[in-house]
Amino acid sequence: MDCYTANWNPLGDSAFYRKYELYSMDWDLKEELRDCLVAAAPYGGPIALLRNPWRKEKPASARPVLEIYSASGVPLASLLWKSGPVVSLGWSAEEELLCVQEDGVVLVYGLHGDFRRHFSMGNEVLQNRVLDARIFHTEFGSGVAILTGAHRFTLSANVGDLKLRRMPEVPGLQSAPSCWTTVCQDRVAHILLAVGPDLYLLDHAACSAVTPPGLAPGVSSFLQMAVSFTYRHLALFTDTGYIWMGTASLKKESQKADEYLREIQELGQLPQAVQQCIEAAGHEHWPDMQKSLLRAASFGKCFLDRFPPDSFVRMCQDLRVLNAVRDYHIGIPLTYSQYKQLTIQVLLDRLVLRRLYPLAIQICEYLRLPEVQGVSRILAHWACYKVQQKDVSDEDVARAINQKLGDTPGVSYSDIAARAYGCGRTELAIKLLEYEPRSGEQVPLLLKMKRSKLALSKAIESGDTDLVFTVLLHLKNELNRGDFFMTLRNQPMALSLYRQFCKHQELETLKDLYNQDDNHQELGSFHIRASYAAEERIEGRVAALQTAADAFYKAKNEFAAKATEDQMRLLRLQRRLEDELGGRFLDLSLHDTVTTLILSGQNKRAEQLARDFRIPDKRLWWLKLTALADLEDWEELEKFSKSKKSPIGYLPFVEICMKQHNKYEAKKYASRVGPEQKVKALLLVGDVAQAADVAIEHRNEAEMSLVLSHCTGATDGATADKIQRARAQAQKK
Amino acid sequence: MAFPHRPDAPELPDFSMLKRLARDQLIYLLEQLPGKKDLFIEADLMSPLDRIANVSILKQHEVDKLYKVENKPALSSSEQLCFLVRPRIKNMRYIASLVNADKMAGRTRKYKVIFSPQKFYACEMVLEEEGVYGDVSCDEWAFSLLPLDVDLLSMELPEFFRDYFLEGDQRWINTLAQALHLLSTLYGPFPNCYGIGRCAKMSYELWKRLEEEEDGETKGRRPEIGQIFLLDRDVDFVTALCSQVVYEGLVDDTFRIKCGSVDFGPEVTSSDKSLKVLLNAEDKVFNEIRNEHFSNVFSFLSQKARNLQAQYDRRRGMDIKQMKNFVSQELKGLKQEHRLLSLHIGACESIMKKKTKQDFQELIKTEHALLEGFNIRESTSYIEEHIDRQVSPIESLRLMCLLSITENGLIPKDYRSLKTQYLQSYGPEHLLTFSNLRRAGLLTEQAPGDTLTAVESKVSKLVTDKAAGKITDAFSSLAKRSNFRAISKKLNLIPRVDGEYDLKVPRDMAYVFSGAYVPLSCRIIEQVLERRGWQGLDEVVRLLNCSELAFTDMTKDDKASSESLRLILVVFLGGCTFSEISALRFLGREKGYRFIFLTTAVTNSARLMEAMSEVKA
Repeated sequence: MDCYTANWNPLGDSAFYRKYELYSMDWDLKEELRDCLVAAAPYGGPIALLRNPWRKEKPASARPVLEIYSASGVPLASLLWKSGPVVSLGWSAEEELLCVQEDGVVLVYGLHGDFRRHFSMGNEVLQNRVLDARIFHTEFGSGVAILTGAHRFTLSANVGDLKLRRMPEVPGLQSAPSCWTTVCQDRVAHILLAVGPDLYLLDHAACSAVTPPGLAPGVSSFLQMAVSFTYRHLALFTDTGYIWMGTASLKKESQKADEYLREIQELGQLPQAVQQCIEAAGHEHWPDMQKSLLRAASFGKCFLDRFPPDSFVRMCQDLRVLNAVRDYHIGIPLTYSQYKQLTIQVLLDRLVLRRLYPLAIQICEYLRLPEVQGVSRILAHWACYKVQQKDVSDEDVARAINQKLGDTPGVSYSDIAARAYGCGRTELAIKLLEYEPRSGEQVPLLLKMKRSKLALSKAIESGDTDLVFTVLLHLKNELNRGDFFMTLRNQPMALSLYRQFCKHQELETLKDLYNQDDNHQELGSFHIRASYAAEERIEGRVAALQTAADAFYKAKNEFAAKATEDQMRLLRLQRRLEDELGGRFLDLSLHDTVTTLILSGQNKRAEQLARDFRIPDKRLWWLKLTALADLEDWEELEKFSKSKKSPIGYLPFVEICMKQHNKYEAKKYASRVGPEQKVKALLLVGDVAQAADVAIEHRNEAEMSLVLSHCTGATDGATADKIQRARAQAQKK
Repeated sequence: MAFPHRPDAPELPDFSMLKRLARDQLIYLLEQLPGKKDLFIEADLMSPLDRIANVSILKQHEVDKLYKVENKPALSSSEQLCFLVRPRIKNMRYIASLVNADKMAGRTRKYKVIFSPQKFYACEMVLEEEGVYGDVSCDEWAFSLLPLDVDLLSMELPEFFRDYFLEGDQRWINTLAQALHLLSTLYGPFPNCYGIGRCAKMSYELWKRLEEEEDGETKGRRPEIGQIFLLDRDVDFVTALCSQVVYEGLVDDTFRIKCGSVDFGPEVTSSDKSLKVLLNAEDKVFNEIRNEHFSNVFSFLSQKARNLQAQYDRRRGMDIKQMKNFVSQELKGLKQEHRLLSLHIGACESIMKKKTKQDFQELIKTEHALLEGFNIRESTSYIEEHIDRQVSPIESLRLMCLLSITENGLIPKDYRSLKTQYLQSYGPEHLLTFSNLRRAGLLTEQAPGDTLTAVESKVSKLVTDKAAGKITDAFSSLAKRSNFRAISKKLNLIPRVDGEYDLKVPRDMAYVFSGAYVPLSCRIIEQVLERRGWQGLDEVVRLLNCSELAFTDMTKDDKASSESLRLILVVFLGGCTFSEISALRFLGREKGYRFIFLTTAVTNSARLMEAMSEVKA
């Protein structure tokens, strides 16, 4: 085992460290590293280099080149720097390169040298220039801290959500601090700086002096300081040649001693040993060493009954993934701990960012990730990249994407189309949308692309009326009224929807819609409705009705036009009646108007009205009969019944009198009922015996049964017998 | 009486889960507004809400006072107002006016609007236009299925009928698709689907898309309900327009059953109070008579009364122990039965008083004549007299529609004269009602010589004219041809009767209309289930104007048990009547099926006509 630990160097009493070369970088550097601004991203991320032509000792010559390499030195991007002088470079947690310029402007580039955006660190920074800058990472994201020429600090804890904070002044600071760094404590970013022999901690409110406990005396200046990635540990390098190490929370007086060396309780604790072998394999960089350790674990496992296999299996899987991404061509030298902290999802994102789609898909398949989180997501990313290839024709891109993606679950064609549109490829976006099976998903992008009419069809296809309505409102704002109405006309479903809305909220628009369509029938109905709902005054109502009647004529609906004109006449007349007679006539039906007149003794006027409006005789007779019976004006009723031959016969007279419980009057009319309805009339007035006689006389079977069904009283027995006899006789014959 | 189910009839699924789901969701929503609050409830939602959560549950969740949403300023002094409403624009305006009044008075409170069953974008837009969108928070109570009975689910959306079949507004289709989706997540997939009608087809397609999007949820589940049948109300208007004569339907026509319960007035309760009675399978007396032809009900009830008396009478001659037993075990049940019995006897008497008069007999006679297509002149005169006498605006309208549909439209002379008479009797505003009825295809004019092909060629001409907007009108007028007579012949809807039709022992579904007519909707369902599809029904489908709109969808790998295949969910889009429910329950007993009914609302002829009527504002 000796050889395995040969390169382990002791660090203090209880820890070791080792150094090993990950890659032999075969990059072709044109400049000395010391002449460059260099930024290497954490977690095995990329390295950025910018030859620094702005250093005072070297006069500016040609424009510098910004170069980006993978951690293994594979070139990823190279571009001429055309902006202002850069003070510092750094990588964000999303692997975006932040370039801090002297004027406080921060330019953000992607991994492939693609410009993303820029932002400024504020006016104070602009005026006093940037002296120095640091990019740092917190749990919220990546931040930028600036030291200005006025020896003040400005920072933003998260460049994704830019909030600038100007830190308080350090008392008596006349020159730049000898060294400084950002420290995160309790979710707040602080600045730790060294001025001569003193250390200061700046938070957003105050500046306080701090003393590292147990620091050897005689320090007159600090040359360098470093904070661990977790901000838990701090190292200070003094001009006396010492390195002080301790926790970053300097307020604590005593430095906690390391405690990790414990006595192994019992030698030969096999399960623990196996577990440690497995873990150790994870921390080894070289596959050969990993194999040896895993083999050892596997061997030891054989002697154990119940060692759960999953930790071993999982480690094997993790190592395969790690070894794959550590490969020189990929160049992401993650440690096991980093990998676990990063999670597989983020690692996949990083592979996607490097356009390493096949490897990402292989990893997904190998780890059997669910499609939606795994393969589909990567394919979708691939497609989004694909649409940016401007040299390929729309057709080819669309086809290529569809071939690869097909109906993979979880792939949203509308997202890919949105990306295509973002790259200015509207036609491609429309083609891609065609593959989107959910028509509702196509709508928002179509609207964005100003293809509102297509959006409308798709919204209608989706069957989601809310979506249709959204598009309609878009169209309404986008088109002029005429075009908008024309579009509606071609989409009946949308039209009905919009009409419904207008009916309740925009009556005038509804009218315009009908007008536009030359829909005179509906226009007529619209004005009729208005004559009831909107208008109070009789003149207004009549005017509305007149408009309605005109519309009905245009619609060739003569019936409705005439009926409307009748209504106008009736309204005017009702108004006059109210004026002359008092009482309430407005809005009664014609029938009720006449009835009201009769009930109030205005027989002449009633007659006149009936003539004017050509009320048919039958109706008039029913009406008068009912009204007079209601008045119990039996004398008038009888007079009326004799005025001429009744067009409705006399049975109704019997019925109505009986309804008013006047048998005496009813009987009068029963005698006048024609033979066909005689039996009914007699039964109505309760004369069962006579009804029987008539029925027998008629030799009518139906009538006889009807009478029989009325033979319920005690005295009807004889009548019933009589009918039965007549029936029997009829059958004999 | 009260035909028992066949012993092999499948068990019904437990739909009470739907109620629990709705209740839990409502409570969750109420708790989103912590603290005391006043609740404003839309009138139409009160009865459904009552079936889900009673006042004490609401109080438990800090609802202080309850108000009805009506066009009046709110008197509430609460700091938090919660509105439970249907997604209607007029409600939005009401809420906005309330909020704005508060603003004017310098008052700030919290407002929350809960839309049921879902919110619509148009509503939010109105809130925005009225300037209160930022002041209210909006939520959805996805309560779309109320189990009214063990086999009856209602969406309680009567406006579905008018919105879709008159206004062409499709917004409720999504609600329906969501409801079907909920059913399939709870009760497993439906392996066999049938349907007829445009709305049925759209709903079905939208529903299937929802299922695809949420792939896997129902996958692998065993179907509980083997078949589903979706049917548009406009496929069969005739049945819905007929007077109902089975007990439950008659109670609905007479007293109006609302959300599964009925208010029996003093004339029924024979006291001075009205009584709200829940009508469902739990009412043992009602359950035995609900599907019966009315002519049998009274004699059944009196027999039942005699039996009950006999059971009471057993007390005599009991010893103490027996008596103790009787009191503790039987008496309560008997008393309960006694109470129900007297209620239903009261209801029967009240119905008899109204319905057994000459008028009703004549009415039924006319309806039968219309269904069978004889004595059309006589029926027309009857309707005219009905109008002249102002018997009832809704009834007159119903008869006119029935005449129109059975006769493929009125002849022009009658069309004009009946309408004129109607306007004279019931008021000129009904000009709008007629326009509605024409649009919905309920009351139309016969176009002489205008055969189907003639209309079709007209449509194709319109297409070339590119007046696409008018095509829909043309299509709808095309759909208006009801072809009832021909369909009736094809499907044998008018049973040939030799002698008296025995209503006590019915032999077919026609018993729900006194043996005169088999409900068209139910016959279609019967035929399709028998044939397992539309094969051989092409001509009927064409006559129904549904050539492209009748569909079958059978799942290939059939995990459905034979038991589940006999459990059939029938979905009525636009409402179903109790007569149809009774007819299908009868069919179920005959064939060993069990039907479950899902309807947008329970309807009857009066409700259909009211939906089409324009009333002066």
